[in-house]
Amino acid sequence: MGFFDSWSDLVAAASPWSAVEAEAVGSTPAASEAETKDAAAGDENEDESKEEQEEEEEEEEEEETVDPKEKFEEECKESKACAPSKHHFEECVERVTAADEGKPVSKKHPNEDCVEEFFHLAHCASQCAAPKLWAALK
Amino acid sequence: MLARSCLPSARAVGVVRNGAVKTTKRAASSSSSSTEASTPFRLNMAAAAATTAAVGSMAWYYYLYGHELHAMTPAEEGLHPTQYPWVHRQFTKTFDHQALRRGFQVYQEVCSSCHSLSRIPYRALVGVTHTVDEVKVMAEENEYDSEPNDQGDIEKRPGKLSDYLPNPYKNDEAARAANNGALPPDLSLIVKARHGGCDYVFSLLTGYPDEAPAGAVVQEGLNFNPYFPGTGIAMARVLFNDLVEYEDGTPASTSQMAKDVVEFLNWAAEPEMDQRKKMGWKVIALTSALWAVSVWVKRYKWAHLKNRKLVYTPPVPRARHH
Repeated sequence: MGFFDSWSDLVAAASPWSAVEAEAVGSTPAASEAETKDAAAGDENEDESKEEQEEEEEEEEEEETVDPKEKFEEECKESKACAPSKHHFEECVERVTAADEGKPVSKKHPNEDCVEEFFHLAHCASQCAAPKLWAALK
Repeated sequence: MLARSCLPSARAVGVVRNGAVKTTKRAASSSSSSTEASTPFRLNMAAAAATTAAVGSMAWYYYLYGHELHAMTPAEEGLHPTQYPWVHRQFTKTFDHQALRRGFQVYQEVCSSCHSLSRIPYRALVGVTHTVDEVKVMAEENEYDSEPNDQGDIEKRPGKLSDYLPNPYKNDEAARAANNGALPPDLSLIVKARHGGCDYVFSLLTGYPDEAPAGAVVQEGLNFNPYFPGTGIAMARVLFNDLVEYEDGTPASTSQMAKDVVEFLNWAAEPEMDQRKKMGWKVIALTSALWAVSVWVKRYKWAHLKNRKLVYTPPVPRARHH
C-alpha cells in the first residue's frame, strides 16, 4: 500500500490532470433541481401543444408516482413468455379456492398452496422486467 | 431389479468374449469349425445385448441418482432473487455518489427507526455522501455520553464526527421486545451477509405482493414475502411511493428508493470498493508494463542465439582407387 501510495503521489505531483477535486455538494442539488424543473416544464409544454383535452388527466397522474417495477412486472406477467406460469398459477388458485365456493376439496392434496406457482410467475416477471426497470430508474 | 439388469449384461460379455476369441482363432488358422460360431445372427445378438446392457445401466443410474433431492421445499428455500444489472458492480465502475446520498436519506428517514448501522461513523460519510459541515450538523442532532465530570457523573454532549450512527434501541433485547420478538438485523454488512447481496435486499424490499398467494399460511404477526426464506417475515412492507422527498428532485418511487438504499448499504458494507478497483487497475497496468519489458529483454538476450546460423560443410570426398 505504501509503495503504491508514494508512487501515485509522485505521478500526481508530476501530472497536471490527475488531481480531481469534488464539487461543493451545496451547489449541485440546486442546479439539478433547476434542470429537472426545466425538463418538467418542457414536457408539459409539449403535452399542451399535442393534446389539450387530456391535460387534466395527466396532471392527476403526475401527482401520484407510479412504481416502474410494478408497471413492468404487470406487463411482463401478461407477456407470452410468462403465459405458462401465469396459466399454472391461475389454475392453482382456482383449485385451492374451490373449497370456498362450495366445491369438493381434492382428497389427494387437501392442504395445497400456490406458493411454488407464485414463485415461478414472480421469477418470470421480475426476470423480464429487470433490464427495463434499470433503464427507467436513475 | 439390479440382478435382472446385470444378468443379460454378463451373458452379453460372455458372448462378446467368445466371439472375439473365435474370430481371432479364425484369423490365425482359418479353420472350418469357427465359421459356424460367427454367424451374422450371433454377432447381431451380441451387439443387441451390449446395447441393451448400456441403455439399461444408464436408465438404472438415472432412476437412482437422476433426481435432485431438496431438503427444503421451495417455500422454505425462498424465491431466489433476480440478478439486476447494478452499475456499481461492474469492474470499471464506481459507486454513484448521488445515489449514495439519496440512499442515506432513505436509511435515515425510513430504516433507521428499527435498524442500526453500528459500524458507520459520521466521519465515514464525509466526502462520500455529504460535506464536512453537513455531517457535523447531522452528528450534533444526537446526544452521546461524555467523559465523567468532577463528580463522576456522565453527562450528555452533542455528537461529533468521530461518533458512530446512533442505534435505535439500547440493546438487542430491547429491539426484540419492541418488534414482536424479531430482531431487526444491523445493516452495516447486510449486503455481504446475505446470499444474493444487493439483488436479495432489493427484491426483499420491493417484493411484497398485495396479498399472499392462495393457500399460503402466514403466521400471526408475520408478512408474506417470497424472497425471505420461509416466506414469513416480521418486517412489513415499509417503502411506498413518495415516502421520502429527494432533495435532487428524483421521483421517489418504491423501486427508486430501494435501489438507492441498497447501493448505500453496499457502500456501508464495502466502503473500500472504489479504492479497491482503482488498485486493481494499477496492478494490471503495472504488471502488463513489466511483462512488456520482460518480452523486450528476452528478445535482446536471445538475439545472438536466434540469429545464429549453423553451417555444416561436409568433408570433400577423396577420389577412391579400386
